[in-house]
Amino acid sequence: MFTALYFKEWKEKALLFFFELGILALLILAQFVLREKKDIQEWLIYGMLLLFFPFAALILGAAGFEAEYRQGAWAYLFSRPVRKAAIWLAKFAALLSMLAALWLVFVALWVAVPGIRELVGGTRVMLGFSVESEFPWWSILQSGFLMTVAFSLSLLHERQFNILFVSLGVGFFLPTAAWAVMNTKAGGFMAFLAPSKALPTFLLCQVLIALAFAASSLATLVRSDFSQPRKLTLSFVRWFTPLLVLALACTAAWAILIPGPAERYLSFLGSSGGEPYYITPRGVFKYSVAANRIQWLAKAKHVNYFIASASGGKIAYTAFNIKSRADVAEELWVVNSDGKDRKRVLGRGPRESEWPLERPINDLMISPDGTKVLVLAQSGANRPEVRAVASEKSPLWIVKLDGTGLENLPDDPALFGNPSERYCFHLVAWAQDGNAVLISKRTFRQPMTFSLWLYDLGNRTARIVLDNAVMASWLSPASPRGDCLAIKYQKDPEKPWTLALLDLKTLATTDINDNTGEPVRLWSQISWDQKGDRLAYVIRRAQEGGPEVYVLAVYSLAAQKTVAEKSMTTSEASALLFWPSWTADGALLLVLDRAANGLRVLGPDLSEEKRIAFPESLRVPVSLHIVGANALVEDDQTDTLWRLDLSREAWKRIY
Amino acid sequence: MTELLRIQHLSKSFGRKPVLKDFDVAVESGRVYGLLGRNGEGKTTLARVLMGVIPADVGDILYKGRRISFRDSAYKREFGYVPEDPFFYEDMTIRGLLDFNARFYPRWNRKRAASDLERFALDPRSRIRTLSRGMKLKLGLAVALAAAPEFLILDDPTSGLDVPTRQDFLRDIIRELAASGTTILFATHMVHELERIVEWLLVLHGGRLIVDGDFEKVKAQHQASLEDIFVSLVADKA
Repeated sequence: MFTALYFKEWKEKALLFFFELGILALLILAQFVLREKKDIQEWLIYGMLLLFFPFAALILGAAGFEAEYRQGAWAYLFSRPVRKAAIWLAKFAALLSMLAALWLVFVALWVAVPGIRELVGGTRVMLGFSVESEFPWWSILQSGFLMTVAFSLSLLHERQFNILFVSLGVGFFLPTAAWAVMNTKAGGFMAFLAPSKALPTFLLCQVLIALAFAASSLATLVRSDFSQPRKLTLSFVRWFTPLLVLALACTAAWAILIPGPAERYLSFLGSSGGEPYYITPRGVFKYSVAANRIQWLAKAKHVNYFIASASGGKIAYTAFNIKSRADVAEELWVVNSDGKDRKRVLGRGPRESEWPLERPINDLMISPDGTKVLVLAQSGANRPEVRAVASEKSPLWIVKLDGTGLENLPDDPALFGNPSERYCFHLVAWAQDGNAVLISKRTFRQPMTFSLWLYDLGNRTARIVLDNAVMASWLSPASPRGDCLAIKYQKDPEKPWTLALLDLKTLATTDINDNTGEPVRLWSQISWDQKGDRLAYVIRRAQEGGPEVYVLAVYSLAAQKTVAEKSMTTSEASALLFWPSWTADGALLLVLDRAANGLRVLGPDLSEEKRIAFPESLRVPVSLHIVGANALVEDDQTDTLWRLDLSREAWKRIY
Repeated sequence: MTELLRIQHLSKSFGRKPVLKDFDVAVESGRVYGLLGRNGEGKTTLARVLMGVIPADVGDILYKGRRISFRDSAYKREFGYVPEDPFFYEDMTIRGLLDFNARFYPRWNRKRAASDLERFALDPRSRIRTLSRGMKLKLGLAVALAAAPEFLILDDPTSGLDVPTRQDFLRDIIRELAASGTTILFATHMVHELERIVEWLLVLHGGRLIVDGDFEKVKAQHQASLEDIFVSLVADKA
């Protein structure tokens, strides 16, 4: 019965369908004829996606119940032994398949003509949407939506022209209004926090509103009296109103509660006591060795994940407190590593005038004794600092963890003071038993320069430690004991960067050489073992007459030499993704090897023991951290966290 | 005779105008029912409610003892319906319409459909939009009969038929159906025609049934023609 109705619709609307198909064919033909004129081709594509498909869909939809109205066939159709829902569904399915057939023609064009993708890309830019997919799914959804609206309304009125324009108005007005609401204060400042979620929200809103239209139309057809148009319309309105409210509420809930592409993130913060800390949009968590699971330490919205610190049993992080788009305050919070005693150290409050709110916090470190936090506040880590006014406050602040004793540390012109210079800073490590702090400085003049400075907290002065030097890796360059820092530096600007250790007490450097006695050219992240006795890393080594080889190496601080080496690959792309990490007992070294699609398990002498493949759902593995008897790997694509039970070699997604 | 259909407390209004008020009737199988009423008294409304074209405001309809609702459709496989104004899909051909209907009715009789088309001089290749009202009525009749219904609702179908067809319809087709056990509800205001075939008389007036009885008994009781009975009944109540 359904198929009989379905094919009846096809036969009935065949003329309309072929008319639309003809127009589409003409547009496609024009694409080929005018292939030399890119601008006209571009407008033809715009016309296709923004006008043809929406209007073709509207016209098809508006014709939904046209025959029943025009030919008075209601009584005939309804008196057949067929469910009214089947009538509705068959009609809708027939129209949808006609629209799909039109889209298939476009898909064929998409596949056959490579240049079409660039032209379609132009519409994305024009609409101002950030879309990952090249294919114009948004246009398909848009036309499907408009067809559904027009089809639903065609049940209520016999004049297709009116339905077409009402559908067009309603179809654009409702989702646009909803989208606008999502972008206001009521919508949780979504556009401010996650502009990339604007399009998914708009599309979701359209889908839900389309469902509201469709459900109302279906319910009206199944239950209402077609001999009384006013009753019919009232019935539709009675169904549609609550469903529309529900659709808008669901859209709002989704926009506010579910993290969007820009809102969902997982960022490794650092390790403390062998436990890694992560930041997500929901706050801060750690992987607890004792509990062997994720432990939420602080549930907080809008955590600024770029900057945080884990030290001395305390975690410090900053989060945005957003009251309106114009009223955004950054706050500094501290929480114990067991999740207890969460406390706002700085932020809104009576001392607001003291707080360096005019500049965002770019870095912070908790002192080794866990009583103070050092704060670096400057104009963004990725934007160079321009100190136009020399009298401005210095970027360094210190405050006790109970929120008292906020102090702007004096400017040292040698480090911070050149107004004509463009530079940025990074807090590297505590030095000299917590009495000084090591700061990395990068200038933006070409060629860029990197230097390591020591800021003495006692006499409030800075001095340069090493020129042309930077920490060896951004994550955990300091040894777990806190007495040593892995750095990269150039003795001579003409020579390559070499790996060295900087004693944080004496500030003396020890060069690290490879087995051949040559200075190490560091290539990968470094990994300290948990006692701070050994350092693992990947180096790059030239080979005579061949490509450079990437070698995994282990340096022993006790022996003061490289104790093991293993050639890993000659592919730069593969080597770029290596990430070594020691097991808790230091007996094994695991290497995240994306090219091999798994973890390579190596013995102390770097002999390969086995490989453990990644699960299929782990798409872009990054950052490997060993926690107790588990290995944790982040998925950079899905922002998920995976746990590998090393004894059972079983993977499990834990966030 | 067994009860085929029972209508209980059926009411239907259009806006503020009540058309059927607390309507009750029991229909027994194999009988020819004549439903008389003036224009606008609710004959078409009753037919449409029974066919699930429009919903009743209140009331129950039981077919073979089973309650049927506006949303039900299965019972219509055993119902035939020839409406007063036979609107079909105008762009279909007669053959297309018959094929379309054949999918819905399990007891569809293709031979019967073909013979009725011949009987009514309908060309299966003709498009419906080219047919006159009378020819559309014949087509409606052919469709309804091909479905081999147990219960046939005829909503004043003879008014648009030419005289020979009307004669044929009344004399042969109705009798043939009645003989085969089909229950017929013949709604009309043309009493002369009804008088020749009716077994049970139903008279609608003011939204209610004012007569529900064996036609011969009603006739005997009033000692008059059906036309006179109808006029007197409607006039009395008015």
